[in-house]
Amino acid sequence: MPDDSLQPDPDDDLVARARNGDTRAFDALILKYGEKLYGLVYNMTSHKEDTHDLLQDIFAKAYHSLPRFRGQSSFYTWIYQIAVNMTLNFLKKRKRRSGMSLNDLDASFQDDPALVDASHLANPEKQSKLHELQKRLNEAMLSLSEAHRTVVTMFDIQGIPHAEIARILKVSEGTVRSRLHYAHLHLQSKLQDYWE
Amino acid sequence: MKPTVEEIGTLLALKRHERPEDGYFDGFLREFHQRLRAEEAQQKGLAGWWRKTSAWFSDLGASKWAYAGGLAYATIVVLVMTFPRGQEVIPTATTPVNHEVRSLEPAAVEQLDALDLRPSTKGRTGEQEF
Repeated sequence: MPDDSLQPDPDDDLVARARNGDTRAFDALILKYGEKLYGLVYNMTSHKEDTHDLLQDIFAKAYHSLPRFRGQSSFYTWIYQIAVNMTLNFLKKRKRRSGMSLNDLDASFQDDPALVDASHLANPEKQSKLHELQKRLNEAMLSLSEAHRTVVTMFDIQGIPHAEIARILKVSEGTVRSRLHYAHLHLQSKLQDYWE
Repeated sequence: MKPTVEEIGTLLALKRHERPEDGYFDGFLREFHQRLRAEEAQQKGLAGWWRKTSAWFSDLGASKWAYAGGLAYATIVVLVMTFPRGQEVIPTATTPVNHEVRSLEPAAVEQLDALDLRPSTKGRTGEQEF
């Protein structure tokens, strides 16, 4: 995880080349951060097509904004800020537009292979319980406010430290910890009926 | 029974391995380049100018309202300064004309040849004599 204050940005060279119109350098940045940003956007939107479209918009926005990127933060922090802001704006618009329910979400999100432990495959009962738990976890995640879901996604799923989350969201570390605390309490209460 | 915070963290951490399918970013990059080319083509002409201006304006953040206010104020000032003002006309009392107006005959021009332009040697009393 880059620390803006201590290290030079490892992406300086790629960013400078991309700024001068080298699209291959920008491709390298997409390949470097694409998966992480995909995870962020997907866990926030729970929708694969929306994730794809948003990711295109995020990288296009970053590409066009490169001339205004002053290097006050690392490229990583900067593009994360763009991604979080655009995703939150998208979620607000989507909520206004359709009042999306859980039924509108991707089947794949409800059937996340990452949660299926291979050791449980041989045990249909355990596997069924795990699926149920996974479904409840996703529902609980979607019942969080957008601000809380953002910190849970970044901290618990993506493993980003508090300080970096604070930098990306432009809030204090205390705010990040407080949001996480309340988000965890909410998830605990939502999952208590399904926890053995 | 409630799961602990650590258990919730462990459960959520499993989702860290969630990735798009293999080869996803090859197609993603192709689409991205197509998009950039289409945007470049669009940016030529008036529509492009408008898009760039809109993008610049939306990038300004909260200060855009100050710019918008200033622009609106300047527009109003320019309109007030340049709008043609009608001259103030004081209405005068009019009387109806009830007689025929005839155009005057042009005054007869005396023929210079007929005039005696020689200096006169005789003058009357009090007049200068040449």
